[in-house]
Amino acid sequence: MPTVQFNLSDLENLVGQSIKSSELEEIVLYVKGEIDSINGDEIKLDIKDTNRPDLWSIEGIARDLRRYLGNDEILKSFNVDSSGVSLEIDKKVEKVRPKAIGAVIKDVSLSNYSLKQLIQLQEKIHFTHGRNREEVAIGVYDYDKLNFPIIYTTVDPEGLAFVPLDFDKEMTPKEILKFHPKGREYGHLINDYPEYPLMIDSDNNVLSIPPIINSTYTGKITTNTENIFIELTGKYLNRLSIALNVLVTALSERNGIIQSVEVNYQKEQLITPDLTPKKFSINPHYARKILGLDLSKDDFILLLNKAGYEGKFKEDAIIVEYPAYRNDLLHERDVIEDIAIAYGINNILPIYPEISTIGSINPIEDYSETIRDLVTGLGYQEILTFSLTNKNSLFDKMKLEESNICEIANPISSNWSVIRNWLMPSLLEFLTYNQHVEFPQRIFEVADTVKIDQKAETRTVNIKKLSCMLSDVNAGYEEISSVLYAVLSNLGVEFRLDPFNHPSFITGRAAKILIKNKEIGCIGEIHPSVLNNWELNMPTAGFEIALTYLFP
Amino acid sequence: MLILSEEGKKYLKDGLPEVNLYSLLDKDPIEIDYAKDKIKNFSIGLIWGKKNGWITIKGSKILKLKQKEGYTLPLALAQISKGEKVEQQNLDLLIKRKLVIKEKKANYRKIGGSITSLTPELIQTRQWKEFNLKPYNVKAVGSRIFPGKRQPYTRFINNVKRKLVELGFKEMTGTLIETEFWNFDALFQPQNHPARDWTSTYKLKNPEFGHLPNKRLVDNVKNSHENGISGSRGWGYQWDPMKAARLMPRAHGTCLSARTLASNKEGTGKYFAVARCYRPDVLDSTHLIEFNQIEGIVVDESLNLSHLLGILEIFAKEIAGAEKIRFFPDYYPFTEPSVQLSAKHPEFGWMEFGGSGIFREELTKPLGINIPVIAWGIGIDRLAMFKLGVDDIRNLFSKDLKWLRESKVAL
Repeated sequence: MPTVQFNLSDLENLVGQSIKSSELEEIVLYVKGEIDSINGDEIKLDIKDTNRPDLWSIEGIARDLRRYLGNDEILKSFNVDSSGVSLEIDKKVEKVRPKAIGAVIKDVSLSNYSLKQLIQLQEKIHFTHGRNREEVAIGVYDYDKLNFPIIYTTVDPEGLAFVPLDFDKEMTPKEILKFHPKGREYGHLINDYPEYPLMIDSDNNVLSIPPIINSTYTGKITTNTENIFIELTGKYLNRLSIALNVLVTALSERNGIIQSVEVNYQKEQLITPDLTPKKFSINPHYARKILGLDLSKDDFILLLNKAGYEGKFKEDAIIVEYPAYRNDLLHERDVIEDIAIAYGINNILPIYPEISTIGSINPIEDYSETIRDLVTGLGYQEILTFSLTNKNSLFDKMKLEESNICEIANPISSNWSVIRNWLMPSLLEFLTYNQHVEFPQRIFEVADTVKIDQKAETRTVNIKKLSCMLSDVNAGYEEISSVLYAVLSNLGVEFRLDPFNHPSFITGRAAKILIKNKEIGCIGEIHPSVLNNWELNMPTAGFEIALTYLFP
Repeated sequence: MLILSEEGKKYLKDGLPEVNLYSLLDKDPIEIDYAKDKIKNFSIGLIWGKKNGWITIKGSKILKLKQKEGYTLPLALAQISKGEKVEQQNLDLLIKRKLVIKEKKANYRKIGGSITSLTPELIQTRQWKEFNLKPYNVKAVGSRIFPGKRQPYTRFINNVKRKLVELGFKEMTGTLIETEFWNFDALFQPQNHPARDWTSTYKLKNPEFGHLPNKRLVDNVKNSHENGISGSRGWGYQWDPMKAARLMPRAHGTCLSARTLASNKEGTGKYFAVARCYRPDVLDSTHLIEFNQIEGIVVDESLNLSHLLGILEIFAKEIAGAEKIRFFPDYYPFTEPSVQLSAKHPEFGWMEFGGSGIFREELTKPLGINIPVIAWGIGIDRLAMFKLGVDDIRNLFSKDLKWLRESKVAL
C-alpha cells in the first residue's frame, strides 16, 4: 500500500484548520489512512486503498479531508481553459506505446517541499497505477522551454543524441538503455522494438524517451519553474486520463491553473484533461440491503454529499456524480462503501449471523491430528519446519539423484527455491541446530509435501507425510521400528517391511514400508556419510510414511 | 526355594541327554557323527555318559560299557519341578549342572531392620511386615524427563480451528500449488496488478502451467475482467488465459474460498481454511516467506455489513479474548465494503486482529453465486506471538529443541 510522507503544518494549511496529532488518527479514517509514524511535524501515512491514486498525495488527501470537515464544496469543480497548444500523435507509435495525452499548468510556485510531493506522487502513480511504467509513464517539463506543437513519434535507437536527466553528456537512446540507471530499469518495455518512443518539440528539442527518461534541458523542474507541461504515455486511455486528472488536480491545490491541450490522433482529437464529473447510478434498495441500514432518501443524499458525491433520486435509482480523478468506481458497491464510511463503520451495530450450519474438520486433517497425538504419546516432540527448501538439502546431502521436483522460478534466495517432496531432510536440518541439546532427541512432523502429477489440475498433488526421527548414542533400527509398529498397528494398518538399498540409509538397515504391495514409506538408520553431510555426530534413525495413502 | 533353570525345564521335557544317548546305543557301536545328529545336546550327553562309566569312545565310534542302573537324576528333576523333596546328593548334582537354581530369598537390601525398596516377592510373601520402609527425601525431584509434546504454534492453531468448528465452520483444504486463475483471476484481481508481478508473487519454473477449469467458468471470469458484469465496468483490458494457467505456490487461502464457491451451489454455508501460503517477502523478525493464514467465508442470502462486523466481533472475543474492539474502513482487492478490526486484549493491548469484507459481485457472479458472501481473515501470527511469548515471527517455526521442550502446554 502507498505510504505518503508530508508535514502536518502543510496539511493544516491545505485543509484550512489546525489539526491536533491526537485527532489525526480519527480523521484519516475517512481516506482509509493509517498513521505509520509521527516525527515532529513529519508524518508518514499509509493509504490502504491501492485503487485510489487521488489519495496518494497530500494534496489529494487534504482535499478529501477538507470536505469531510465541512470546509469545502461537495463536488469540487475545476475550471479548465484551453492553453491553445497541441500534442501531435504520429502513427508510428501505435505498435510500441500507442497512447499519449497532456495538460498545461500555469502559474505554479513550487517550493522544495511541494516539488518533492510532486515527485512522490509521480513515483506512486508510476509504480502502482502505472504498473511500473508499463501502462502509465509521466513526463513533466518546463513549459517555457518548449516550442509547440509537441510531437509524439518514434526514433531510431541510434539516430538522435540528447542529454538525459542526471547525466551531463549526450547519449543516444540505445546508450541510455544500456548505461542510464532508468534505462536499465525500464528498458525492457521498449527494447524489443525497432524504434523507440520519442517526445520532441517543433524545434527538435527532445522532451523524453517515454517511458524511460526526460532530457535535462526541457525535463528538469525547479522551484523557478512557473509553467508546466505534462504528458502521459501508455496503453489505455482511461488509465492515462485518471493519472492525468490526479496530477493536475493535485497541482491545482498548489494554486496552479489547469489548461487543456489538444491531442491530435490520426482520426480523432481529444481535449485533455477532462475534469467533468462522471455519473453513476445506484439502487437504493440494494444499498440498504448490503448496508443493513434503513436509510431514508434524505439520509442517502446527506451521506453521499459527505463522501463527495452529488446525489439525486431519479425514479427508483440514485444518480450520483463523482470527481473525474477517481478510479475506483467499478460497481455500485464502491459507492455503497463510501456511504458506510460516511455513516461511520463504528456506528453500525455488529450482528452475528444466525445461520445454522454444522462445523467440521476436514477428514484428512482430522486423521493427521489423531496421528500427531499418537506419536506424541510415544515420546516424540512435534516440530514445525518450512516446506520451502533447496535441492542441496533434498538430494545432495541425502546422497540421492535429483528427481522431478516443484521448483520456484523467482526465489528470493537459493536456500528457498524448491518445495519439498519429503520431510526427512527438514528433520535432519532441525537436529543440526540442536547438537548441544540433551539427548536422546526424538522429533516428528506431519506436513504436506508436493508431488508432481501431470494429470492433476495444478500438475501437482499434496501428499501429507509423517516423519519420525530418533537421535542418540544408541539410536537404531530396533527402537524406530518399534515406533513405526506402534503407529501403524494402532491405526489398524497391516504392513510389511521389505529390505532395500537406499543411499540415505545404512545398507542392510533400511526397508520399504508396504501395505499390500503399495509402497507408503521407508525406514532405516541414517547413513554416516549423510550424517557427516549434515554435520551431525549422533547415530540417527527415522521413518517417513505418506498418510495420504494410509487414509481410509 | 528351588526352581528348574531353562535348561532343566528342557531336559524334564526331552529327557537328560546322557540318558538319551545311552538309549540310542544298541549292542553294536555307533558312529559319533550319527549320534551327534540324533541327540540334542550331544556333547553334554557324552560327558555325563562317560563320567557315569556307561560308554566310551573308540576311534570314530561310541561303545556301550555297562548296564545303566539306579540312575535317579531324571526322577529328582521331576520331583523338584513339583516342589517335592529329593536326595541331597542328586540335588547337589543338579545345582552343579545348573539344571536347578536355588532362588535367593527376598530380594532386598536390609539396613538395620528397614529396607529401601519393596519387591513383588516381599508383597506376595507378606514378609514386608517384618521391615520398615525407609523414608525418602520427598522434597527432591527425580531426573528430568521430556515428554512428547505438540509444537506450540500448531497447538495454538488447533485451538483456533476448534473454536471455528464450534461456531459452525467447515474446513476447506487444497493444494499448495495453485493456478493464477484460482489465486488471482477468479478473485477479480486484474492480470496487470502489481501484486501479480514477478517481485510480489512466486512463480514456478517446474511445472510451469496448470490446466484451466471448464470453459464456461473461464469465459465468465474473462468477461468480468474485460467488460465487467453485474453492472460493473470491469477492468477494461485484454485477459490472457496463458497468464491465468501459470502455476504458483498459493499466496493466500482465498483461492480455497473461490474453489468452494465455484463447486458449491447449495447456498448457505460457513467455511474456513488454515492455509500454508507463500510470498517473496524479506525474511526478518516480522515477515515470513512462508506462513499460515486462517480465513474463510460465510454465504447466505440475508448477509449485510452489520453481519460482517458481527463475525469479526465474535472472532475477536472468542479467539483473541478481546475486551474492546474497533472497526476501521479498509481496502482488500476482493471485497467491497471492507473492514479491519483492531482488538484490545487485557494483557497485550491493541492489535490488528482481522479483516473482512463482502466479496465483490464481479468475483461471485462468475462463480455462479448470486447471494452475498462475507470473506474474513484472522491475523493469527501476531496473536500467536503474544500468546506464546515469541518476539521474532520466525520462531513460530522454532528450530530450538530446548525451547520446544520447555514450552508450556497451557495457553
